[in-house]
Amino acid sequence: KKNMLDFFILGLFISPGSAVNTPVRRPVTRRSKSYGRSCVEPPSLFWQTPGHLTTLGHRIPTSRRAAKSHNITEKVDPEQVALLLDGEWKLSYVTPLFLFRHTQLKLYSKRLAAFIIAEKQQGVAVEVGLEAGFRVSFSAVLGMAETEEDAETISSRPVFGADGSKPVWQGWLTCVNGDPEYLRSLPPDFTSLPLFCSRGAESLSALVKSWFQRTFDCSFGALGLSSSTLHWLAALWTGCHPAAGIRYLKLGWTMPTQPPLDIEYSVDPQDAWELWNSVHKEDGADERISVDEVQSFINGLETHFFRHFKIYLSSGTLTKVSTALGSAHHHGKIKVITINSDYISTVLTLLTECALLKTPV
Amino acid sequence: MALLTPYSKIPELNTATLLLVENEEQFQCRLADAIVQREKDVNVNVRLARKLPLPVENGETRPRIDLVVFIVNLLSEQSFLVVENSLNHLSSDYFLGKVCFVVTSARCGAVSQERLLSVRKLAASHRCPVICAEHQTDDGVTMAATRLLTILKVSAGLSPMPTTALYMSTLTRCTVPSDLDED
Repeated sequence: KKNMLDFFILGLFISPGSAVNTPVRRPVTRRSKSYGRSCVEPPSLFWQTPGHLTTLGHRIPTSRRAAKSHNITEKVDPEQVALLLDGEWKLSYVTPLFLFRHTQLKLYSKRLAAFIIAEKQQGVAVEVGLEAGFRVSFSAVLGMAETEEDAETISSRPVFGADGSKPVWQGWLTCVNGDPEYLRSLPPDFTSLPLFCSRGAESLSALVKSWFQRTFDCSFGALGLSSSTLHWLAALWTGCHPAAGIRYLKLGWTMPTQPPLDIEYSVDPQDAWELWNSVHKEDGADERISVDEVQSFINGLETHFFRHFKIYLSSGTLTKVSTALGSAHHHGKIKVITINSDYISTVLTLLTECALLKTPV
Repeated sequence: MALLTPYSKIPELNTATLLLVENEEQFQCRLADAIVQREKDVNVNVRLARKLPLPVENGETRPRIDLVVFIVNLLSEQSFLVVENSLNHLSSDYFLGKVCFVVTSARCGAVSQERLLSVRKLAASHRCPVICAEHQTDDGVTMAATRLLTILKVSAGLSPMPTTALYMSTLTRCTVPSDLDED
C-alpha cells in the first residue's frame, strides 16, 4: 500500500529584472532642532534601539482592499482550489528560499520522498522486501499571482497523485500580494513564499520543514494570528454578508481570570451587517477598509457586551473568529469554507502580510 | 477638582513619592516592594492606584507626588484604554518630566505590534519616556525598579548633579520615527 504525499505550491515567479535594488529602509534622517547644545540631539538613541525585529518594521498598513467577489475559478483550476480549501490549515511563516526554481519541481519531489523514507527508517531494522514508499508530488498552482511584481507564472503541468491512495499530508507555500518594496529588495537568487500552510501528521510536517531548511537555507516559524488580524477577518467576513450570507458571526474570548473564563459571543448576521454598514463608508469604486472602521466595529460589539454583562472584553484575548465563510484561531489555524472560494485571495493577502510582518530580518 | 497637580503641596525633607498606576494590579506590588527595598538613603513612598482620578477622600493626607508611572500590559487592550483616560486627569505640569510609562510583555510573540506602537505614540506626544520591563523574573523587576528610582530621584530634586526633571525627560523621551522619515 502506497502512502502518498501531496505537496502543492502556489507559485509566484518574481521577476528579478530590476537592476537597482531599492533598500527597504533608507537611513533615517532626523530633523534636528537647534537647541544650542549638540548633546541633546538625537534623544531616542540613549534609551531605545530603533530595533526593527521584523522585515516590515513599523510599516503596518492602515487600509486594505475589501473582498471583491471576483471569480477566482476563471484563473485557477477549480479542482485545485477545492483541494486547498477543504479543512483546517496550520500556518507558519518562511524566510525567503535560496535558489528555488519552479522548473525543478520533479527533482524536488524525488529528493523529498527519499529524505522522508530515510528519516523514517533511521533506527528501524530494515526488513527484506519492505515496500513502504512515500510518493511526493509537487505542483504549482497557476493564477494566484495578484500584483504586477508577480510577473510570469510557471507553465508546468500540475501533477496530482495516483488514484486510490489518500494523501497523508498536505501543504502549500504561497505569497499573495506581498509588499512590493520588500520583494523588490530581495537579492536575485531568493524567492519569497512567506506563507506556509500544512495539514496532517506533525511528524511529517517537521520532516518536510527540515528538508526545506536544508535544501533552501530558509527557516520556519509558527505564525499566530494576533487580535488585530482576527479583527480584520471579522470585518472582512461581515462585509461579505450581502453577497454570500455568513449565517452567524461567532467570536471567542479568553478572560484572564482564575480559572480562565471562555466567552463565546454569537452575533446575528443581519445585526452585524447593520453595525458594519453604519461604520464603514462606501467609497464607490475603490473599496478600501480602514483600520479605524474595523476598530469601531469591534468597539461597538464590545460595548454592547459590556452594557449587558458588565465585562470588559478588551481585557481578555480574542482567540477565535468564525462565520460560515471560514474560521480563524489565534494559535495560527485557519479554515476557509469551500462554498465561497471567491474571497480566498483577500484572506490570503491578509495572511501573507501577517507572515511578512512576523518574519524576522 | 479633578486634576492632580505637582506643585500644590510642600515637599518633605529627603523624601520622594512615587505613584504606580496599573489596571491589572499584577506588577504594581512586586515593583513597589523592589523599589522600597533597593533604596536606603532616601525615603521612598510608593502609592498604588488602578486608575486616575484618585479618590477625593485621601486628598488632604496624600503627600506631594513626584513621579507618576503608568504601567501598561500589552496583552490587554483595556490596560491601554485606562491609561489613555487617566492622562486627562493629570495637570499639564506633570508632563514636564514627572510622568513615565512602563510597558510589560513587549517581547511576547502573541502581542500585535500596533499596541506597542500606539503606546509609543502616546508617550511621544506627551514627551515622556517609555521603559520596557520584564515582569516575570526577579531580575527584571529589580532592573525596572532601579531605572524608576533613577528617574524618581531626578524628578524629586534629590539627584546630586544639578539635573532638572525637564532636562532629563527631554533627553529620554520616546520618539516614534514618523512615516515621512522612513520613506
